[in-house]
Amino acid sequence: MKVQVKNLRKEFGKTVAVDNISFSFDSGHVFGFVGPNGAGKTTTMRIISTVEEPTSGDVLLNGISICEEPELARRAVGYVPDTLPAHADITVHEYLDFYARAYGLRGKKRTQAIEAIEEFTNVTGIREKHLKALSKGMKQRVSLGRALVYDPDVLVLDEPAAGLDPRARVELRELLMLLAERKKAILISSHILTELTEICNGVVIIERGKILETGTIEDVLKKSSPRRTVAIRLVEGNNHQNPQLLKELLQTPFVENARVVVNEIHFELTGNESAACDILGELIAKKFKIIEFRQTKANLEDIFMNVTKGGVQ
Amino acid sequence: MSIAGIKNHFTNWREWELNPIIIKELRQGVRSWTVTGMLLLFLVVLFITSLGFLITESFDVNTNMGLGGTMFSSFVVILAGASVFFIPLYTGVRVAAERQENNPDLLYVTTLSPTRIIFGKFLCSAYIALLFFSACMPFMAFTNLLRGVDLPTVFFILFFLFLAVCAANMVAIFLACLPMSRPFKFLFVIYGIFQSFGVIGSLVGISFTMMRSGVGAMMTGRDFWIGTATAVGIGLMLTGLFFVLSVALITPPSANRALPVRIYLTAIWLLGGLLGFCWVAQTGEAERMFAWTYPTFILMMFALLVNISNADQLSLRVRRIIPQSKLKRALAFVFFNGAAGGLVWVAAILAATFLLTREILFAFPRTVSLSDADNHWFATTTAYAFAYALTALFIQRKFLPRRPPKLAGLLAVLLAGAWAIAPSIVLFFLNQLSWKSVEGLQLGNIFNVVSLRNEDQRLYHLYFASGWLLLMILINAKWFMRQAKNFQPLVRVTAENSPPVLK
Repeated sequence: MKVQVKNLRKEFGKTVAVDNISFSFDSGHVFGFVGPNGAGKTTTMRIISTVEEPTSGDVLLNGISICEEPELARRAVGYVPDTLPAHADITVHEYLDFYARAYGLRGKKRTQAIEAIEEFTNVTGIREKHLKALSKGMKQRVSLGRALVYDPDVLVLDEPAAGLDPRARVELRELLMLLAERKKAILISSHILTELTEICNGVVIIERGKILETGTIEDVLKKSSPRRTVAIRLVEGNNHQNPQLLKELLQTPFVENARVVVNEIHFELTGNESAACDILGELIAKKFKIIEFRQTKANLEDIFMNVTKGGVQ
Repeated sequence: MSIAGIKNHFTNWREWELNPIIIKELRQGVRSWTVTGMLLLFLVVLFITSLGFLITESFDVNTNMGLGGTMFSSFVVILAGASVFFIPLYTGVRVAAERQENNPDLLYVTTLSPTRIIFGKFLCSAYIALLFFSACMPFMAFTNLLRGVDLPTVFFILFFLFLAVCAANMVAIFLACLPMSRPFKFLFVIYGIFQSFGVIGSLVGISFTMMRSGVGAMMTGRDFWIGTATAVGIGLMLTGLFFVLSVALITPPSANRALPVRIYLTAIWLLGGLLGFCWVAQTGEAERMFAWTYPTFILMMFALLVNISNADQLSLRVRRIIPQSKLKRALAFVFFNGAAGGLVWVAAILAATFLLTREILFAFPRTVSLSDADNHWFATTTAYAFAYALTALFIQRKFLPRRPPKLAGLLAVLLAGAWAIAPSIVLFFLNQLSWKSVEGLQLGNIFNVVSLRNEDQRLYHLYFASGWLLLMILINAKWFMRQAKNFQPLVRVTAENSPPVLK
């Protein structure tokens, strides 16, 4: 399943919520959708899920246009909104049963699908509980179960980890990895960027309805910080050697922008990994008592902070 | 659906399943304290009422041959009160809650069609009504044993009441589907509650009349069945209208929402006309045709406002079903989404209504004489309505193109309202406002047409309205031609693929 977002634009009166954005992703991939509040993430996700209609542009799900054939397209998408189900007088099982019926599952096939989903999302123990009585984490599971009950190829998850405790977050992450293994194309928005870095293959960074960065996580990281940053820490009690080490580093080839950061020395390496090895060897030969020599990677959070300005519309 | 498909559908009857909405709603209804509590309260009231009557009667030495009738009347009041008041309110509130912006119930993005959703909601409300009627049935059957009411009357009144409750439920669903904010919906609820008192009063009044006459005695007469069929027919048409409108309201704007509504309205307009003509032919009274003319006029006035609020740009979904054939395309232009086609449709219906009514009035005898001026009101008000609509359309399209097109409908109402009120306000401040001034000639005031007494002045209105309409037609002609020209089937242009990010 290939999801292609093409020149998507959505206006609400004079406000342009989504401004001509294009990106695409494939099955088996988890695609992160990142942006500050009011960036247009939810609107884009609602359009992909056929909840909302675009002002212009289109989304193709394996070639099926959401504008021309939304009924057909929505069979392929499972949407987990940021607002959780709040129905009165209905149990978890009845809720899932209703959606299974609504998506045309019949007889034994429906029963089996619901049981499988209850087991997969770990809600079997609470299937007779009323929706309103569930905790946020449990509601999130039910919401995910609802989106999965008819086995869609594409999953669109809007802030699924918001408000979840650490255990529930880890479980959700594992569920998503499992779903990606099952060849689902997953688009997920979250403000917890460290988690996205761990589970996503690709990312779109959006602000004021416009795409700022897009690509695989590696590409985006490389593009945003082409140089490696290396941190050096000396054995405790040897911090007096730091100015000397700094002086030494400033005279070493392939080293730029060396500076003291708390108890460490950070510098930017302009050369390759072999150059890093040589530098380490030289420093040890010069009797510097190095306990830690590590390469610090820029993460999604750093990139997010670098490329976005926090603007809303 | 093909014949083979229909055959297959009936062969596999074991795989038939109820509408999912009905199952969900009934499950929720059964679990809901509101429904069960109301049902219990209803039963308690019925029981106490029965007990009250029987205890009171036990002190009376004389045999009361009308006790059954009196008890039945009380039960009708209780049943009508509970079902007309509670069930539509419950149904409406449930639909409105699901349609709230902050509760994005994904029911509306399932593969269930809007028709199935509304039908499910409607059927569920009918089931709940049936539950209340079933609870009341033993008490009502008991009244027959006490004498004073015949069984046909009991069943007929129950049937009649049930249909009325179903119609009220449909209206409640329609109101709940209206795209309005919560405060407006709350105002509608209050209005609905007040209206339901009126409906309950009328239903009880009709039921009492039937009881006094005795349905059993009337059933042998042909007029009774014609009257019943007409009342039921009109009720069904109206219920159907609210059903079609509700479906259109929950259908995405990009879909061809206008098509089913315009087809349905055209169908009931034809059926209504036929029914009216049958009554004219049966009774020989040409005025009976007005029972069709007036509602058509009112409906078309609403349709005019809605149609000018349609967008000019057709969605891809609509464009891809525009027929290639010129004749079919011309027909599609009138029935598909779009303000221009909608205007043609309203004009055609109103013109046909006017001409048919006129012909029937001349062809059949009348009990009252009608002057030419009496006939002019229809043409004058129609001309005014179109003139206002086209003026609003011009203002919106020309000066406020970035605003949503629904502003055109609002503008038309505001313009007509402002021009109707402005002279009275001026006269009020000049201390010259009187009934005579209201009845005086106020050209451009659509409501002044019906309050005028001078026939010549009505003619002035007609000339003024026609002139204004002609001017507006000329001004909007370019826009109309552009709309008609743009109404073409979709020509696909192969768009370049956006580069895939992940492989």
